[in-house]
Amino acid sequence: MQQREIYITGAGIISALGVGKAASLEALLHARSGIGPMRQLQGTTHSHYPVGEVQLSNEELLQLLGMPPQTHSIRTGLMGMIAAHEAVEQAQLHLIRPQRTALISGTTVGGMERSEQHYLDFFEGQHTHYIALHNCASSTEQIAQHTGPYSLCSTLSTACSSAANAIAMGATLITTGRADAVVAGGAECLSRFHLNGFHTLMILDKQHCRPFDQHRAGLNLGEGAAYVVLESEQSARQRGVEPLCRLSGWANTCDAFHQTATSDNGQGPYLAMQAALQMAGLQPHQIDYINAHGTGTPNNDISEGRAVERVFGHRVPPLSSTKPFTGHTTSAAGSVEAVIAMLAMQHSFVPASLNVQQPMEELRFRPTMQTIHNVELRHVLSNSFGFGGNDTACIFSKP
Amino acid sequence: MGIYIQSAAQISIQKPLTDEWLQQPIEHTQHHVRAIEPNFRDYLEAGESRRMGRIQKRALATALSALQQAQLDMPEAIITGTGLGCVESTERFLQAMVRSGEDFLQPTHFMQSTHNTIGSQIAVKLGCHGYNNTHVQDGVSFESALLDALVNFETGRIRSALVTANDELTPDYFALLGQLNYWKQEPITRQTLFNAQTPGAFAGEVSVAFVLQNSRNELSLCQIYALELLHRPSPEQLASCLSLMLSDNNLTLSDIDAVMIGKSGDRDNDAIYAQHAHLWGGRPMAWYKHLFGESFSASGLGLYAAIKCLQHKCLPSHMTLNGASISNPNCILMYNHFMNREHSLILLSTC
Repeated sequence: MQQREIYITGAGIISALGVGKAASLEALLHARSGIGPMRQLQGTTHSHYPVGEVQLSNEELLQLLGMPPQTHSIRTGLMGMIAAHEAVEQAQLHLIRPQRTALISGTTVGGMERSEQHYLDFFEGQHTHYIALHNCASSTEQIAQHTGPYSLCSTLSTACSSAANAIAMGATLITTGRADAVVAGGAECLSRFHLNGFHTLMILDKQHCRPFDQHRAGLNLGEGAAYVVLESEQSARQRGVEPLCRLSGWANTCDAFHQTATSDNGQGPYLAMQAALQMAGLQPHQIDYINAHGTGTPNNDISEGRAVERVFGHRVPPLSSTKPFTGHTTSAAGSVEAVIAMLAMQHSFVPASLNVQQPMEELRFRPTMQTIHNVELRHVLSNSFGFGGNDTACIFSKP
Repeated sequence: MGIYIQSAAQISIQKPLTDEWLQQPIEHTQHHVRAIEPNFRDYLEAGESRRMGRIQKRALATALSALQQAQLDMPEAIITGTGLGCVESTERFLQAMVRSGEDFLQPTHFMQSTHNTIGSQIAVKLGCHGYNNTHVQDGVSFESALLDALVNFETGRIRSALVTANDELTPDYFALLGQLNYWKQEPITRQTLFNAQTPGAFAGEVSVAFVLQNSRNELSLCQIYALELLHRPSPEQLASCLSLMLSDNNLTLSDIDAVMIGKSGDRDNDAIYAQHAHLWGGRPMAWYKHLFGESFSASGLGLYAAIKCLQHKCLPSHMTLNGASISNPNCILMYNHFMNREHSLILLSTC
């Protein structure tokens, strides 16, 4: 099938760095992390872990959305609506909307933050409206209601690569002519379920996370949402909107090794990066920046690092993990980092990989430890890997 | 390019991994029926079996059975549709946390709680590095997964795919959905479900797997002509989608031998099918949820049932709304909706 150009004409983000692209850019340029003590998530005995929280309560998020305070809400949906709205507005979809506009959203725990509060009440017939909101698709529907209409909606759940897969699926819908525009991304809020899950796996760092550091000790959980508007070249031209960048390649592969661990040589990540490069028609040396998955767990970073070396050899381009800024936003990470990659490209800088004291000895390359300014980024690779060895790579290119 | 279904295998509340239900369906009278489990030892080693939740075992058994039937060792994609994912593992972790606090939780149930555990377990078992995705779009999770497969075929990225639908329903989740009037209060009979005078359906479980490929051979069971997913369509949009689907394939309504709908016995659910009944131009109609129960990805069993009717050249009388069997069906249209929000149309034909 002939390759169609996929334009990105809008982007929106909410994370520990703040609400919107401008706040995120400001924090990234000034190497200011959003990670800090736990404030929003209540009722956990693990409150000593640093986290990347959106610094707004659900009531404040509702207010920001102009919705009544008594609205039945789930935090994932609230954050998703804010980010999707920013993306839709920038792409001017609210003014001229292609008839076939789809919404593809990635999330994993759904309305868990309400379910874990009210679980026992449910059986007594109380707060039962949150039972339906527990399903992953419920946040997608809330976003659809807030930013629609959409001709098609789907929700993906592949853990920490969910949002990247939403972008990939959205692009495939456009390539095949099934949609003219797709709002794609993901959303995920912090929950005790997630915090405890990662705690039992013993992969949470009690300090700020240090991806690609020799002494890295795990990840910091984050939360957030981000969406991009993908659009066919033809649709963007017809609507008279300028592309922010192009999505030139994407691939999803499976490590097929273990449910939560990654293979030593990073076979899945290697195959994903290779396939995305091939699709984009690019050689490795043409990539100007890699926004790594870089969680800060001992396992991820060695596996991803080895895969990067297998693909890029001795010429690894500037590489950083921006999870020390946002925390690991799990299902939203793929789109949160896609928007960060786009901001870096538009504003010609490479965000620093914060908190690296001693680069990993096993790897030949070093992560970018200081922000690089005034650098042209023509092609940026963004990696997102999830439980189940679900590995997705996306390449963003200048228009 | 055509897309062909090479095999289909099910574990459900009918006898598992066989087509016996076509001749001798089990009539259930319970409100909540768990899937009838096959002997997993035919597919899994004892050690593997112990480490897995029920839904994973079922998913692996149906996946391996479908691959065997299709004589395919390695699919190029594994795509899963599931409304609720691994409920049992999620509940174990959640309930321990809510009831006993955060100090003694075990990682195993968390590791197996993500929805994509199902698809990744299949990939690990096969050593499959191909495309792997999981769709969780409520009552059209399965159609959404199928759409993902079709568009990846269309781009030429894959030549074969394993597409599955999996949903389990634990007693606790049955109780929770019951709070939302998902299930009938009165005894379940074919007639009460058929009449659909009251809210609620009866609950089943589903694990079904299909092998799809983009070339036809002697094993091909049928061809997927078209699949459309629509979000809150107007009646006009639904009608024009159908007519475009037919005309794109040089068909008219008279070529459709049966319209298989997602009628479940729930009053509100079934009212939507009644509302759109005029679209089918009086073609004979069929249903399957009275045999397999309601679940978020029950439409996967609907597709399975349709394929088996095409394969065995008979749509039995126990599946048609008018009670008359249809012999030699060639073309089946499937129509499903969830809460009148998501709608799906699938057009299938013998090849």
